[in-house]
Amino acid sequence: MRNYLRYALRETLTNLWRNRMMTIAAVLTVAVSLSLVGSALLLRQSAAQASAQWQLGTRVTVWMAPTATSGEISSVHTQLRQLPIVKSCVFQSQYKDYLQSKSILPASEWTLLKPGDVPSSFICTPTVPNDAFTIQATFQHEPGVYMVTAPEQQIRQMNHTIRIVQVVFIVLAIVLMVSATVLILNTIRMAIFSRRREVSVMKLVGATNWFIRIPYITEGFVQGLLGSAVAMGAVWALKTWYPLHNEFSIGSSALWGTNIVVLLVGVLVGSVGSGIAIRRFLDV
Amino acid sequence: MILFENVSKTYKNGTPALSHVSVNIEKGEFVFLVGASGSGKTTFLRLLLREEFPDQGRILEAGRDIASLPKWRVPYLRRNIGCVFQDFRLLPNKTVTENVAFALEVIGRPASTVASQVPQILELVGLGEKGHRLPHELSGGEQQRVAVARAFVNRPLILLADEPTGNLDPTNSESIMALLERINRTGTTVVMATHDQNMVNRMRRRVIELDHGEVVRDQVRGVYGVPEGVL
Repeated sequence: MRNYLRYALRETLTNLWRNRMMTIAAVLTVAVSLSLVGSALLLRQSAAQASAQWQLGTRVTVWMAPTATSGEISSVHTQLRQLPIVKSCVFQSQYKDYLQSKSILPASEWTLLKPGDVPSSFICTPTVPNDAFTIQATFQHEPGVYMVTAPEQQIRQMNHTIRIVQVVFIVLAIVLMVSATVLILNTIRMAIFSRRREVSVMKLVGATNWFIRIPYITEGFVQGLLGSAVAMGAVWALKTWYPLHNEFSIGSSALWGTNIVVLLVGVLVGSVGSGIAIRRFLDV
Repeated sequence: MILFENVSKTYKNGTPALSHVSVNIEKGEFVFLVGASGSGKTTFLRLLLREEFPDQGRILEAGRDIASLPKWRVPYLRRNIGCVFQDFRLLPNKTVTENVAFALEVIGRPASTVASQVPQILELVGLGEKGHRLPHELSGGEQQRVAVARAFVNRPLILLADEPTGNLDPTNSESIMALLERINRTGTTVVMATHDQNMVNRMRRRVIELDHGEVVRDQVRGVYGVPEGVL
């Protein structure tokens, strides 16, 4: 076993060096393809991040009429609490709203206002932004409710845009991933095709399939590893110099996640690809 | 050592390669396989290596039916068979020493054995000084001697040679034949397919002649051509 490990390691290193042009080609193919895949994944996460942030910001406000009785208020409160599409609700008393209106109204008008004129309100977060409309329709005609406001138009547009952006990036990532796999497999197959004679000689002197296969697989593994290391660098660079901020900003967990995917894909495609590519030359 | 019992083989395109061949080769024999191109000599050797399957009949090697051998055992079968070909089949990017050592590494011999046996066998084939060369830096005769060294380094029971002198001049052919004879004297069974008339006539060994896949002659001390009164 020790003999074989030494043999496999030596064979892998000499093969990488002797076929260095092919090694460079394979490493570059992996690097370029996976940089694109990684970037697409990162951008998708950026869009998802923004969408999550916006969703947190969607509020529906149920304004109670200033004349609403405490029974009506508690009835609306109970209903809001029981509705599954409502994630959470905060009650603002008339006095609190009165204080808040100070910051909105000009001083001359606010001085005319009394706490009793101001409606109390429930500020609610829907489970899904789209549910804002349902909440609005449900409570608009409840007794004691003055009006229900929701940022209707913006929610519709935002959801639509985010859905499109996410779909575009997912499709892009999948297409790039598939083409990267095909490119890498093809490069490896060409490398192995040029050495099919070598494989047939190995078979002739009684080498078992695994004996032949392992150095090729580790070779593909090393190529995949080097290629994905470059791609990981590219993804990291994209994160560092990413032009969008605030809700679009990419967290370090997203970067790590993407880089782990890039590494796994590179290493898997490299080693499994070599294993598959050599299979047809082993059947002698 | 080698027993063909009523062996037939037809290729997928319908070309018959061997039909109803029955041959028994004893341990330590030196056998020439002769016949025109396409007479089935190479198929005979490929069947022994289990690169091909017989359609019919049995092939026994060292008492074992090789057709019933599971696929994963085939490499172990080949370790008992040395092979030499017309086109040498050396690994082009390995040195002479590495090429010969490879046959030992494949069967898991420890590095110390490899280090001691490879120079010995290279000395035997007269290439002791050229171990560090790459195959393309050697003459045809030298390359074939490397191939013989590789085939013999793990002392196989059987040595198969498919026109080993086909690409060589008479002097180099002589030295390869001398090597094969020497290997044969150690008890290794040698089966050699050849077109080299002079060689066969001079050596006076057993000759099996194939014609359109059939054995038309099996003579103990034969010559290349058909002698008078044999058929």
